[in-house]
Amino acid sequence: MSYATELFTQTGLGLLGLLVFPGGLFALMVGLFLKGLDRRIEARLQRRVGPPLIQPYLDIAKLFTKETVMPASANRTAFLLAPLLGLTGMAVCAALLPVPGVSGGLPAMGDLLVIFYLLPLPAIALMVGGSASSSPFGAMGFSREMTLMFAYEMPLLAVMLAVAMKVGMATGGGAEFSLASIVNYQLTNGQLAFDPVMIPALLAYLLFLPGTMGTVPFDVPEAETEIIEGPLLEYSGPALAFFHIASALKTVVVLGLGVALFLPGTVPGGILANIPWFVLKCAALMAVSLTLVKSATGRFRVDQAFTFYLKYPSVLALASLVLAWRGM
Amino acid sequence: MSAPVHTPHIDDHVNTDPRAGFTLPVGPLHVALEEPMYFRVSVEGETVKHVEITAGHVHRGMEALALRRNLFQNIVLTERVCSLCSNSHPFTYCMAVENLAGIVVPERARYLRSMAEEIKRIASHLFNVAILAHIIGFKSLFMHVMEVREIMQDIKETVYGNRMDLAANCIGGVKYDVDADLLTFLTRNLDRVQKHVEEIYNIYRNDPMVRGRTVGVGMLPQDKALEYAVVGPVARGSGLAVDIRKDVPHAAYPRLAFDVITETGCDVHSRAMIRLREALESISLVRQCARDLPGGDLVARLPEIPAGEAVARSEAPRGELIYFLRTDGTDVPNRLKWRVPSYMNWDALGVMMHDCKVSDVPLIVNSIDPCISCTER
Repeated sequence: MSYATELFTQTGLGLLGLLVFPGGLFALMVGLFLKGLDRRIEARLQRRVGPPLIQPYLDIAKLFTKETVMPASANRTAFLLAPLLGLTGMAVCAALLPVPGVSGGLPAMGDLLVIFYLLPLPAIALMVGGSASSSPFGAMGFSREMTLMFAYEMPLLAVMLAVAMKVGMATGGGAEFSLASIVNYQLTNGQLAFDPVMIPALLAYLLFLPGTMGTVPFDVPEAETEIIEGPLLEYSGPALAFFHIASALKTVVVLGLGVALFLPGTVPGGILANIPWFVLKCAALMAVSLTLVKSATGRFRVDQAFTFYLKYPSVLALASLVLAWRGM
Repeated sequence: MSAPVHTPHIDDHVNTDPRAGFTLPVGPLHVALEEPMYFRVSVEGETVKHVEITAGHVHRGMEALALRRNLFQNIVLTERVCSLCSNSHPFTYCMAVENLAGIVVPERARYLRSMAEEIKRIASHLFNVAILAHIIGFKSLFMHVMEVREIMQDIKETVYGNRMDLAANCIGGVKYDVDADLLTFLTRNLDRVQKHVEEIYNIYRNDPMVRGRTVGVGMLPQDKALEYAVVGPVARGSGLAVDIRKDVPHAAYPRLAFDVITETGCDVHSRAMIRLREALESISLVRQCARDLPGGDLVARLPEIPAGEAVARSEAPRGELIYFLRTDGTDVPNRLKWRVPSYMNWDALGVMMHDCKVSDVPLIVNSIDPCISCTER
């Protein structure tokens, strides 16, 4: 009986986490808000007015009223399933995300590693969709996305290992891959963003963000002026909306992960104060790593982007990893 | 009679296996190209192996239209060949008529013609370098340059009453006049533009992102530039000092002081540098025109236009523009033919795109500042 109750509660909590908070609806709303904010700040930096904050919500709503047109030569199944692949991956990631001071996120064994494995799903979805669309631009985007993914996943792994090693060494041996423990450690021992040893890892993470989000200077796979949005070119209607939703969720996931890894500090005032505080920190991370960067740069060529990731973020993250491993 | 059967078909040349290499259609409608042109780019991985240039998407039969209009109406027609060089066309056309009939243009009109030409050149060059920033995804820089160009648009609107088509020229002179107020407005705004263009020049010269994408891209060595007889900024970017304003004295240019700008980089970056430096040179030319503007008539007294043939040349923002006119004694031309700079430049694209990357294709195309509506008219 108690086992059944336990199972029922866990499943209920799981569904709640996946569909409402911290994943699902909450993550979607925050993600679209961040997207709107991003466009607004970027516009202001270019002395434009910019769209209203509600624009990304309207765009999604509009796409759902449209028809999904498919190229005659496309692989139907892969073409239609690709957007859902990215969406599910990101929905699970968002549910695993801790919102410091509010919820620890859904517990999973070594959830940092789970997130590491799930994070490339939207990019893989783009690759699948791009090649299923049978458009040469999609094929071009496929090869570019693949090249870029190898480049930016490496510093991400190093950053995650550095944080896990740092927390693990401090709490008694071994790397600590549980996000909840990483957050709790920082709540008692100070945030890692202010630890000199971890600052290179934080910088590496900030450099990883534009790559994984596919914004300038790393928007190579979609490069509008080169391969006219590559894999997304043939998508329309709800299928395109799912890509946008996955991208909005991914914004929350990668920014929220940054908050959890480096800046999980809370403010007094319980849930009501800590949810806006979390969104604010995500927005600040986004402004620094995505909006400002894309306003100050142009697009790399794919080979330049690849070399960049191998040179700077990887070295920075590895530096932190080695220092943390040496127990500093 | 049966209705035509419409079967969707896939171009058999479009092969999407990246290992085998495939054909990438760039155009005829493409976000990075302002005008319809079509390149079939054969690609292996990211590297371009072969480019096939296809023309003819905006042919409007303008040379035929010109034969149905009289000499005056053709000023209006030629002004509408293209928007960015909309002053160069009627300007050169009018010179062709004047050469044919031996009309001597009054001194004041010569200065005003040069002034209109240079104002359009500044705006056109700024537009082109802005598009370069757009193509490499540098949106803030694009917005910044376009904002500066907007000052030029304001100048055009205030002085000529229009943002693109200035309607400045007529046979034997000009259709507009400037007074002291307008000249003050003009020079004051040129000061603003100059300050900004100098800043923009430094950004394009030094910014690592702009340099990283443009230096060494789209090489056109000097011997190839000669071989393809390229004109305008493309030739000057490969170190050839060709400028019709110096080579064939016309309008007020013999009385104005200016340098022929050349760069030796032979790449996309050099061509952008040429345009920005020429914009600065043009600002100085407009200033000289405003300072030295002589008094006198705006239009010469027109004789009867005899039967005959004449040629006129000018330096449009994209390079040498040639007009050929043949009349038969009536008011309708017997033949009007023009050769535009892009016609000479776009064949050289094959050289520039040799073994380039796919991401460089729009950059290289933009670096010749192609004007398709002129070329296909």
